[in-house]
Amino acid sequence: MATNVSSVYIHVVDDVISKVRDEFINYGAGESVLNELQALWEMKMMQCGAISGNIERPPLQKNGVPTPVHDLNVPYEGPAEEYETPTAEMLFPPTPLQTPIQTPLPGTADTGMYNIPTGPSDYAPSPISELRNSIDLKSGRPSPYMQPPSPWMNQRPLGVDVNVAYVEGREEADRGSSHQPLTQDFFVNPSGKRKRDDYASQLNSGGYIPQQDGSGDMTIEFSLPQNVVGQDQKSPQGSGSSKFPLNKEAKQHPVLPQYDGVHDEYDDVFNKLFMNSKLNLPIFLFLSHSRHYFFLKIFQFQGGVTNEDYNTPGDHVELRAATPSVGTPKPGKNEVAEDDEPPLNEDDDDDEDLDDLDQGEDEPNTQHLVLALFDKVTRTKSRWKCTLKDGIMHLNNRDILFNKATGEFEF
Amino acid sequence: MATFELYRRSSIGMCLTETLDEMVSNGTLSPDLAYQVLVQFDKSMTEALETQVKSKVSIKGHLHTYRFCDNVWTFILQDAVFKSDECQEQVKKVKIVACDSKLLSQ
Repeated sequence: MATNVSSVYIHVVDDVISKVRDEFINYGAGESVLNELQALWEMKMMQCGAISGNIERPPLQKNGVPTPVHDLNVPYEGPAEEYETPTAEMLFPPTPLQTPIQTPLPGTADTGMYNIPTGPSDYAPSPISELRNSIDLKSGRPSPYMQPPSPWMNQRPLGVDVNVAYVEGREEADRGSSHQPLTQDFFVNPSGKRKRDDYASQLNSGGYIPQQDGSGDMTIEFSLPQNVVGQDQKSPQGSGSSKFPLNKEAKQHPVLPQYDGVHDEYDDVFNKLFMNSKLNLPIFLFLSHSRHYFFLKIFQFQGGVTNEDYNTPGDHVELRAATPSVGTPKPGKNEVAEDDEPPLNEDDDDDEDLDDLDQGEDEPNTQHLVLALFDKVTRTKSRWKCTLKDGIMHLNNRDILFNKATGEFEF
Repeated sequence: MATFELYRRSSIGMCLTETLDEMVSNGTLSPDLAYQVLVQFDKSMTEALETQVKSKVSIKGHLHTYRFCDNVWTFILQDAVFKSDECQEQVKKVKIVACDSKLLSQ
């Protein structure tokens, strides 16, 4: 069947070329241009896989790939032989990766590398080959296999004793030494305070903190020497080792002055919702959020007049820790959904749009496409029927031609 | 004579279009001549599909979108199954573009 498709294509190519030859000659372009056109066209078709030459080859290659995998697993002796003979080589390996004794490499991986092959097939070959294969595949990360080979090592007197003792000692030494730098590394990083001091000393004495005034203007470590001194006392509370709280505070700064404008809108809405209804609500909870966290605001109605208490930091400190579930979240959520959060319905459209866009970009190759002529298209309720003819189908990276097609679709 | 430019979107048609574009860009081929080649391709492809292809295919699937504009039907199917004598193909999403066969006879 594939040959039929490609034969049809080749027939089309020949037909086209033969029929435009006269045009080319009359136009003065010449045979060479025509031949070049044909050659290029056929080459592209072979690259696309439209012509039979390439259509059959890729599956053969795919079949060929797994076979070497099986070959590696089945014959132990093949790789075993390779490891048997170079035991001496492994003891005196030419490659640097396999010379842990001579060179003080971080030996856990390297010692494992040649410890296993030093125990050749005399012992149970299967686990060794498995380990070898795993090591071959991992190439330098037999750390999980380090422990199992150790008994092998002890049981191998083939010049391994010296290596074993050396390796063991080195292993311990390496382990001991390996832990220290790791721990040291871990200890260094989280010490934010130390870093702050360092940075402070490096910069302008305590420039790490400020943020309420200068945060909105500057990006973190840069300091405002004037404000820093006064705010150093406040700093240790909110300032953490990471930059994130700084950003929060930084964002507090632009948000704070905006409360006036922000709350005016909400006040208007709330006035419409509550004031007009003449509800005397002693406490009114209001939800607003900056980018990263939510504020709870308490408004106290007195005689229908809202007193905005957000100026008092104490209340805000208490409210910040509260969850949005406190109080009456309904109006807040509505406004939050309308003003800040996009409606959830957009997700469906986004998915469709992305699919269309993606397939539009990949249309010539990966999008499944049917090009045909229709004789009849009918519909009964949600059941569609159509008759097509003379079509080219590109499905699953494959071309299929048809003379007639019947379609039944359910809408 | 008008031709269906429909088949230019197929694999063989895209290869031809790309080839012609390259040759026109190189200056090897004039745009007029390239257009002539495309028109001839339309004719040859249509004729080949009529005469050389004898297979029949059945299509079933969920119709996601349908459109009829300028005498061209466009269907987008989901989870479609294409069955023919030789093989069967399943695709999650496929676009079907069909021109009116009666326009040719006109």
